[in-house]
Amino acid sequence: MYLISTLVLLLCSSTIALENLVLEEEYTEYLSIRSLRDGKVASSFSFKTLLRDASPRDPRQLSFDDNQDASQHYTLFPLTLGQILRQYAITELHLTLNAGKWNYDSWGVPDEPGVGPGAELWAWMADGGTMSVDHRWQGLRNALAGLFCASLGSLDEQRTTSPQYAFPPEGTIPDLGLPHQIRHASHASEHVCTENLTPFLKLLPCKSSSGLASLLNPHRLFDADWHGMGIHVLWNPDGIEVHLNFQLVSDPLRPSTVQKQDWSLESLFDRTIQKSCPVAVTSQISVSLPSSGMYRITPEPHTLQGDNAHYELGSSLAEPFNVGIEWAGELEYPSALRDSSLMPISIHRTLQGPTQDKGRLLVTLRNNGPNELKVLYLETMPWLLQFYLHTTTMHIDGIPRNDLISNVSYILPVPHYQPATFESVLTIPGNATVRYSVDVTKAFLRYTEHPPDAQRGWDLPPAVFVPSTDSLRRMYAPALLVDLATPDFSMPYNVIIFTCSVVAFIFGSTFNLLTRKFVVVHLPEGN
Amino acid sequence: MTEKTWSPTSRPTVSASYAFPAMVAVRLLVALVQPFDLIHDHQLSSPLTSYRNLQEGIHLFRNGIDPYSGGVFRHSPLYLSLFSTLIPKSKTFSAVLWTLCDALGAYALVHIWRARQGLGKHAHSTRDELVAGAYLFNPYLFLPSVALSTSSFENMLALLALMFASQKKQSKALLALSFLLHTSLSSLVLLAPVLLLLLSDPHSHLASPRAFSGDLKRLPSLMAEFLLYFSFLAVASCLASGGITWVSQTWGASLTLPDLTPNTGLWWYFFTEMFDHFRPFFLMVFSVHLLIYTAPVCIKFQYDLLYASFVLFGILGIFKAYPTLSDPGLFITMHVLFPEVYPYLRYPIVTALLHLHASLLMPLFHNLWLAQGTGNANFFYASTLVFACANGAAVIDALWAGLRIALGEEKEGWVIAQE
Repeated sequence: MYLISTLVLLLCSSTIALENLVLEEEYTEYLSIRSLRDGKVASSFSFKTLLRDASPRDPRQLSFDDNQDASQHYTLFPLTLGQILRQYAITELHLTLNAGKWNYDSWGVPDEPGVGPGAELWAWMADGGTMSVDHRWQGLRNALAGLFCASLGSLDEQRTTSPQYAFPPEGTIPDLGLPHQIRHASHASEHVCTENLTPFLKLLPCKSSSGLASLLNPHRLFDADWHGMGIHVLWNPDGIEVHLNFQLVSDPLRPSTVQKQDWSLESLFDRTIQKSCPVAVTSQISVSLPSSGMYRITPEPHTLQGDNAHYELGSSLAEPFNVGIEWAGELEYPSALRDSSLMPISIHRTLQGPTQDKGRLLVTLRNNGPNELKVLYLETMPWLLQFYLHTTTMHIDGIPRNDLISNVSYILPVPHYQPATFESVLTIPGNATVRYSVDVTKAFLRYTEHPPDAQRGWDLPPAVFVPSTDSLRRMYAPALLVDLATPDFSMPYNVIIFTCSVVAFIFGSTFNLLTRKFVVVHLPEGN
Repeated sequence: MTEKTWSPTSRPTVSASYAFPAMVAVRLLVALVQPFDLIHDHQLSSPLTSYRNLQEGIHLFRNGIDPYSGGVFRHSPLYLSLFSTLIPKSKTFSAVLWTLCDALGAYALVHIWRARQGLGKHAHSTRDELVAGAYLFNPYLFLPSVALSTSSFENMLALLALMFASQKKQSKALLALSFLLHTSLSSLVLLAPVLLLLLSDPHSHLASPRAFSGDLKRLPSLMAEFLLYFSFLAVASCLASGGITWVSQTWGASLTLPDLTPNTGLWWYFFTEMFDHFRPFFLMVFSVHLLIYTAPVCIKFQYDLLYASFVLFGILGIFKAYPTLSDPGLFITMHVLFPEVYPYLRYPIVTALLHLHASLLMPLFHNLWLAQGTGNANFFYASTLVFACANGAAVIDALWAGLRIALGEEKEGWVIAQE
């Protein structure tokens, strides 16, 4: 097996450059499947490519000729992504494109934390050299927009923020002697679809023709209740790691006539694995075994680790590989469980108020555990909605508790230019429900700033909550829709004409009165 | 040419001496009771004068965040330092303060009236109560005050500047004017008439026009004194806010119109619907257009600069960038200072009906558009156009009457026309 993969490696790389053999590239793929308590099935694909001994580019070298940058020859590492990373000297990059609302309370912690609705892009960049961080950030999002066929170009200055605490680097920051800066932007209306999946698959060494990636059948992925893809690039002392993942939550109960939770790769993806990817070092499927109920898992797991059954896909498959679980009985979902949450906190966020000029943002946080919890709360709000921070209130059961909010940092929005960044730490006592509310005012936009179908409203980015106990496990509140007042889009000429007419009438009459002489005229009799 | 004289009475009657405090008390009562929540109303307070934005700025300032780095706060640093140090953040106290400020405005108006009639400072005229009442009970002035719009402060400063100028108190007038200019940049149009008023006299010369009587050689020294106060306040503002970002956030706002919240003026919808590539040009046109009235009006009424400033208040009420109802309200109230022109107004009924029309339709259409969702922006825009026509008609009529009065009463067989 090792021999074959080495041979393929050699064949691929020999024509490019011999020195690349020095750089070791390692590709692993992994699929984890677990049944959720409400009968749905969460699958998470994870494809990792490690470029050993590579390091992020120093931005001070960006001014040098790109031809001298000899390291852009890869065999497994995606070249198109590598070029973007080097051109803009990106240290760490995270792009997620999701559709749907991750139901934390009944689905629990997602395998990948980036489950915010719509598109989210954040990157850590070293600050130095001739190209500014903002300039590189602009280039990055345009390049990624082209690469993934997504409207990431709309993640412009009006959506870009630099939150201090909510998005720490997930890898290591290299010691370049330069400070690193974060840029973050999200766009809740940008949904993932087939045109984003195709370029995603192209980044994989085996595309979708073999290995776990052959299960990525767009007809089934985009039919799932929740689905999303993520591209993560980070640096460790080992090297640069590109981590592509695809998560979905399918509902086996939807097509079935009986309430049975049975699933198999074939039922979930309408495909089985025909052959394995020859360049993958490991190719593993992990199924988390249900804790209750009578079920049968086929085929027999290769290894068992706790509650997880593992399957190793060898370099060659004798027959198409399929795995599935069959239950003896129908799904029972006790109603008592419906109200209990799998998470330490439950979050609800709503925008209240009937009018188009003002409203109230209400966040309800419930601590499901007995211990006091500190939660970092981040709002990256476009300037369309502006907070009145002096109206902030915190209540527990109707009793004001303004002492529960601390460490407020607020970067004000600039109309037509920059969003607001509001970060604070909320303290939630054990088993308590905290209601945080703040008055907001809705902006009035120029007619050219409205999107097509302006009456639909604007999607506001999700708020991010990070429990202090687990700083990497971000939670996203659902996106909100805000209804802004619209002008009449058919009227620009009319308004210009009407207003100018009134101005001309008043100016003209005034001019007339001030410049013309008064005269007394004699009217002859009988005229 | 007969002119009515308003006889001074050295000792006011008992009922008259209590009238002013009684009117203020009634106003205070309404302000304290606050029958409606008017603070959010777009017609009563603009983004530049809103009490809510002021409170937000103070809150940010007290928490160590620069309120001028963005957001909704567009008040002058003078307000910021005043409200963040001296004045407690209580709604009752604010209601009292705003009522007092209106009372001071009414007091200034009464004293302008007395100065115009050539009465002494303590002399009492029979029309004093009417003048004060016209200010205190004009709904256009009184509702923004109940809504705690800082436009009440601006009106008070404008009237104080005029009062001191009429009383020939040079330094006080210039100081009040520089405060006014700091809080509202569009008041620049009042600079010339106030300076010239200081050089001439406030008495009515409408019926007997003559060349400017004052000594223009004093103008540079007046200008220098004004610039001194103005730059002193600018430096104080920089110190209070810790930087110069306030300039673009406060004065810049009335030139670049970053906030398109609807108001009673002409700018907001025009620039909502403006094509992007024409926006800077039309912003320039609208800003310059506001200024071009100053010189002709001051030249034409060089014999009566109080009347010139009255006309310019009218122009401001129509054409300034972020007007509230108090701007045209001040112009309407100031009619009370010039009873001599009443017989020469051509169409006061038409103007009054236009105002009635606009003041009924504006709140109605605003509500239909933003709250009920059954009307669209054009409804409210149309009512602000009617309002602009009403104000325009009032200004034009005031101009006509102010000029026509010089020709006296019409005789049989003769008509008065313009060449």
